Amino acid sequence: MIRPFTYVKPATMEEAFDALKADNSRPLAGGTDLLVDMRGGAMKPDLLVDIKGLDELNIFSVDSGRRDVKIGARITLNLLIDNKTIRDHCPAVAEAAFSIATYQLRNRATLVGNICNSSPAADMAPPLYVLDAQVVIASPSEDYGERTLPISEFMTGVKKNALKKGEMVIRVEIPELPRGKTAFMKKQRIKGHDLALVNLAGLADAEAGKLRICIGSCASTPLLLKGTDQLFKETKNTEKLAERAADLAVHSISPIDDVRSSGEYRKDMVKVFVKRLIHRICS
Amino acid sequence: MDITVKVNGIEYRENVPANMTLLQLLKDRLQLTGTKEGCGIGECGACTVIMDGKGVVSCLILAVEADRSEIRTIEGEARGEDLSEIQRAFIEYGGTQCGFCTPGMIMSARELLERNPNPSREEIAEAISGNLCRCTGYEPIIHAIEAVARKKG
Ligand code: FES
Ligand code: FES
Repeated sequence: MIRPFTYVKPATMEEAFDALKADNSRPLAGGTDLLVDMRGGAMKPDLLVDIKGLDELNIFSVDSGRRDVKIGARITLNLLIDNKTIRDHCPAVAEAAFSIATYQLRNRATLVGNICNSSPAADMAPPLYVLDAQVVIASPSEDYGERTLPISEFMTGVKKNALKKGEMVIRVEIPELPRGKTAFMKKQRIKGHDLALVNLAGLADAEAGKLRICIGSCASTPLLLKGTDQLFKETKNTEKLAERAADLAVHSISPIDDVRSSGEYRKDMVKVFVKRLIHRICS
Repeated sequence: MDITVKVNGIEYRENVPANMTLLQLLKDRLQLTGTKEGCGIGECGACTVIMDGKGVVSCLILAVEADRSEIRTIEGEARGEDLSEIQRAFIEYGGTQCGFCTPGMIMSARELLERNPNPSREEIAEAISGNLCRCTGYEPIIHAIEAVARKKG
């Protein structure tokens, strides 16, 4: 049984922000995390504000000419997976989405919900980090306005993000479809519902001399490795690059032991998966 | 809250509390007890129904969220005594044993065949990967769905 609460489904942004002013209110999109937490008692909101009636949040534009992408807060993971431009130009995004839960849940779960939940293991985060994604946040009506934060500033800690009371993430933008290759990989004990024990995404663009690797589940927020561009320029041999990137990754993290894995095993897996990732995006 | 839902073509008007799930609405209120509850937290797929054309788990949807939607459940499969093609195939190929997963499996199969009438084995496996079965070992279920696809295709 879920503890009683009030439910509203606003038709306009003004109504939504009005509702979100109430104490202990939460926006509801797919509900695939929220309703589980409410059932288990981990989350006890008094008011759910269903945002699925807001047209502004239904935006999903992938412009292969302008090369930018806008993903509204109502866009489900399956819509991302079904989009050919996303699959062709940002496979990391499609792969991360596909790795989450099951088909039925992906028909409800949203990308924005995944990052707002702000788990260190959020699967959509590493691809968004390597793609320099921007999080667009709207604020309440008196001083209605928008602010935009890079994903790395949005995610601030375990289950914590930069949202202030009454604010809402309305969309995520990928400023430029990458020219190079991207990929997402994940190590988990069983496919589907278990969280990742390591998840990572990479982007390699040889022409621009750009290599980006983001590792999730190994700190309180995903971690974008530093010094990878330099490594990429210095190391032409893919095998060597894989070795060096794996070393860099292992030295950049100090993962904790938890129910899913020991920190030691996480480090070993980071090593293995960074190598595999480099082979996928650099060959 | 007052909601209107169409379930298997029949329109229902109900007054439901906000904390009622779609699964509870179907089973407890509308007495459509074919849909099953296994885990209640989105992991087993026993509660799978089709909502506005998409396969979803009804334990993680509030009844109020289903307002003005069209739901299909296992009760919509048979026409009186006539079982649907998918139901017959499940019987023929041994795709059902204890039967607990079957209503959800069949709804996942139906939704798959509607969006993809000629699924590959991998696509079938992926489509039912959110439906757990403790009895059959899945193989007979895949065969049943393949058989329906073959007949249609
Ligand atoms: S009862 Fe809904 S998924 Fe298990
Ligand atoms: S037939 Fe028993 S769980 Fe599937």
